[in-house]
Amino acid sequence: MTLIADVLAQDHRDCDHAFARAEALVAKREWSAADKATAEFAADLDRHFETEEQVLFPRFEAVTGMSNGPTAVMRGEHAEMRRVLAELQNALRRRDADDFSGEAETLLILMQQHNMKEENILYPMCDARLVLERDTLIATISGQLAHEAST
Amino acid sequence: MSSANPGLAYDNTPPFSAPLRFLLTAPLFGIAAGLVLLLDPSALASRWTPGALAAVHLIATGVMLQAMLGALMQILPVVAGAPLPVPRGIATATHLLITAGSLGLSWGLWQGQPPLTLGGAALLGIGLATFLAAAMLALLRAPAPPGQGRTPRDLRLALAGLAVTAALGLLLATALATGAALPVALPDLVNLHAGWGWMGWGGVLLASASWVIVPMFHITPAYPKPVVQSWTPAVFAALLLWSAVMASPWQGARLALISLLCVLALAFALTTLHLQSRTRRSTPDASFLNFRAAMLAIVAGTLATAVAIVVDHEAAPVIAGVLILHGGFVGAISAMLYKIVPFLAWLHLVQAGIKAPNVKKLSPDLPVRRQLRAHSASLAALLAAALWTPLAPIAAMAIVIEFAWLLVNLSRVVNAWRRAGGQWQQGPRKKVQNTV
Repeated sequence: MTLIADVLAQDHRDCDHAFARAEALVAKREWSAADKATAEFAADLDRHFETEEQVLFPRFEAVTGMSNGPTAVMRGEHAEMRRVLAELQNALRRRDADDFSGEAETLLILMQQHNMKEENILYPMCDARLVLERDTLIATISGQLAHEAST
Repeated sequence: MSSANPGLAYDNTPPFSAPLRFLLTAPLFGIAAGLVLLLDPSALASRWTPGALAAVHLIATGVMLQAMLGALMQILPVVAGAPLPVPRGIATATHLLITAGSLGLSWGLWQGQPPLTLGGAALLGIGLATFLAAAMLALLRAPAPPGQGRTPRDLRLALAGLAVTAALGLLLATALATGAALPVALPDLVNLHAGWGWMGWGGVLLASASWVIVPMFHITPAYPKPVVQSWTPAVFAALLLWSAVMASPWQGARLALISLLCVLALAFALTTLHLQSRTRRSTPDASFLNFRAAMLAIVAGTLATAVAIVVDHEAAPVIAGVLILHGGFVGAISAMLYKIVPFLAWLHLVQAGIKAPNVKKLSPDLPVRRQLRAHSASLAALLAAALWTPLAPIAAMAIVIEFAWLLVNLSRVVNAWRRAGGQWQQGPRKKVQNTV
């Protein structure tokens, strides 16, 4: 049995790996490869956020009636991470490896504490409350993650 | 479920001062342990000297306990969906009680004043009971949806291990102060107290933190599922059986169970080292390297414990204690403090609606790297002093420098937070933004 938690937690790990590739290239000052890797990471992260915000969260909110509940908190944290991601990209454009490393460290901690909340609390809540439509929802989520990854 | 946002919202974050007071007090106890060794150069001659007992308790109930409570105040809401009730009140009461208790206990052990030892142990017990009651209340109210990660279970067990350690300590302090009869020989009870402290509390806590920290922050593969599922229950089963056979004449069973505990400690540290060797992060920072060094110290300390059991030599248990407490626990705690404090400073700035400098601007790498090198140097000095006691004053000075430096580095973060506009009394909190 596949769970929503499994699919999205795996995507968290995939985003982590994209993050690590970008971080490694900046550390080696391989700027053009770092530009590409950071763009890929940013796209992965954005795709993950959008899938949650456009597919998963609206269903959770509709079924539970909690539109100002945990999903609102997660959307707020997505906004915070997008802001730090913009700073990270800004540091890369300036070719400032130190600043990039500081923003990367901040983003990593922010991402991981966010992932912990989602993986320990929100996703299991989604799996429990959306049990009737889970398989369809997983298909849509997987489709969106795969579709946008290939575009 | 007690709220719409169980543990998720920034609103559940306790005020900065609640965890920070514990995290900044921890290095002060490290300095105190160094001063005891400086004033009492024969302390490292055996594990039973008053100076060694005092230093061990300053590290365990001062550095380790303060750091653990500070971190738990912050992480319970995140990993367990369990915000503490009245965090500021619990922080103030617990912090005062355990600080006074730790000082009384250690001073009593050092100066041979059993009533003071008992008084200190009692204050520690009350402080811990206050925190544990609040934590249990929080964890009971936390949602436990299907498929939840294992951390809350292991955290509960670590708190149970701490409670057993504290109860055994209270029993020992009572026996010393009143001459009351003990169910088992005094050295055996001391071994049980230490065993529960090392593995039931410290080991389980470190493991339950590592299940999360290593894969997520070091970007490594996850721990194998059977390890995460069975390690902590195995440790508890071994500890319970070991405690049960302690009053029996079965020497063989005791030895077998201690060996099992050593194998479990090795399995944890070696698995962690293996995973860390597969990190995807290309430039391991000082904190990562120190966490790795702490795992190596645990491997060495476990082997030294095994040697201490079979070889009757005064230095062996001291070396084991130094490697596990200083190399393992203090090393891992220092590494974590350098991640926790800057992030908390950053988080509280963001919450106050201030544009926060990134965590490396709040806590630059260079002083951290240097201080962590000082930690390695003082570990080496302590090991040398355990083998040749005339070196004790050098090791003692190294300890004082190490912890004073840690305090300075952490205080720098707080100063940077203040300069960026951080205030102890925070105004209205920033509302969570709805961006879509």
